[in-house]
Amino acid sequence: MTDPTVAEGWVAVPLRRLKEDARLISGVMSICALTSAINASARELGRQLDGKPFYETHHAGADRQVFMARCAAGGQEFLFVGVFDRESSLGVVEIYFAEFQQALAMLRPEKEAKGTGPSGDFEGELNRSLDALFGPLGKR
Amino acid sequence: MKTLTQIVAELSHLPGVAVAMVVGAIDGLIVETTGMKDAVTGGPDPRKHTAALGAYLYSKATRAADAARLGTPAFMRLEAQQGHICVVGARDVVLVTIVSPDANLGRVRLDMMNAARGVS
Repeated sequence: MTDPTVAEGWVAVPLRRLKEDARLISGVMSICALTSAINASARELGRQLDGKPFYETHHAGADRQVFMARCAAGGQEFLFVGVFDRESSLGVVEIYFAEFQQALAMLRPEKEAKGTGPSGDFEGELNRSLDALFGPLGKR
Repeated sequence: MKTLTQIVAELSHLPGVAVAMVVGAIDGLIVETTGMKDAVTGGPDPRKHTAALGAYLYSKATRAADAARLGTPAFMRLEAQQGHICVVGARDVVLVTIVSPDANLGRVRLDMMNAARGVS
C-alpha cells in the first residue's frame, strides 16, 4: 500500500514512524515550497555569519512549532519539515529525526536520483521556490 | 542561590547517580549536565534521549496528575531493569537523573527535591 502524500515511496515507512514517534502533525504538505525557500535562506545566512551553512532550523510559535532539517539517502538530499504542538517537544523531534536519518540512510531507492543536489545558486533556488509558492513575479 | 552547574554537580556526587541534568521543561533540551559516570568510550551517549523523553514523560505525568485532581507531581521515578530515571519539576526546567539499581533512592529523591527548590 502506498502513501499518496509521499513522492518517494521508499521513504514512506521511516517517515510514518518518525511522524508517530515524534507526534508530528499531518496535513502540512502545502508548506514544502516555503520550507525550501527558508532552507535556502538559512544556508546562505549560515555561510555569511558562520562560514558554513545552517542546516537545521527551529521556529517556535504560540501553539505550533516547526523543525526543518536536511537528510540524505541514495545520493539524494531531502528537506525534512516537521510541525508539532505541545504534545511533543523540540528535544523529542530531534532525537527521532536522528533515528529517521539513520533509517533513511540504510534504505536504497529503486532508481538513482535524476535531479541534482543543491547548486549553491541561492537566489535561483529562492526564486524558484517562491515562484512555486506564489506564482512568477509580475503575475501575482 | 546555587548555579545550575553546582546543582547538577552535587546531585551527580550522590552514590548511584550516573548523570544529573537540568532540562528545559517545554523543549526537552539539555540546559546543564554532568558527564556520564562509567561511560564506555565511543558508546552511545544516552543523555540527549533521556533528557528529551524524561521531560516529555514528566509533562504527561503532570497532565495525568492534573486529570486525577492530584495537583503537580512532586517526584517521578521510572524503574527499569538496570536502573531508574528520576525527574523533578522546577519551574521552567526539570531535573533528570539516571540512577543505578543499588542507589539510595530516598536520598536521591530528597536531594533532587531540595535542589528543585533552589532553582532560580
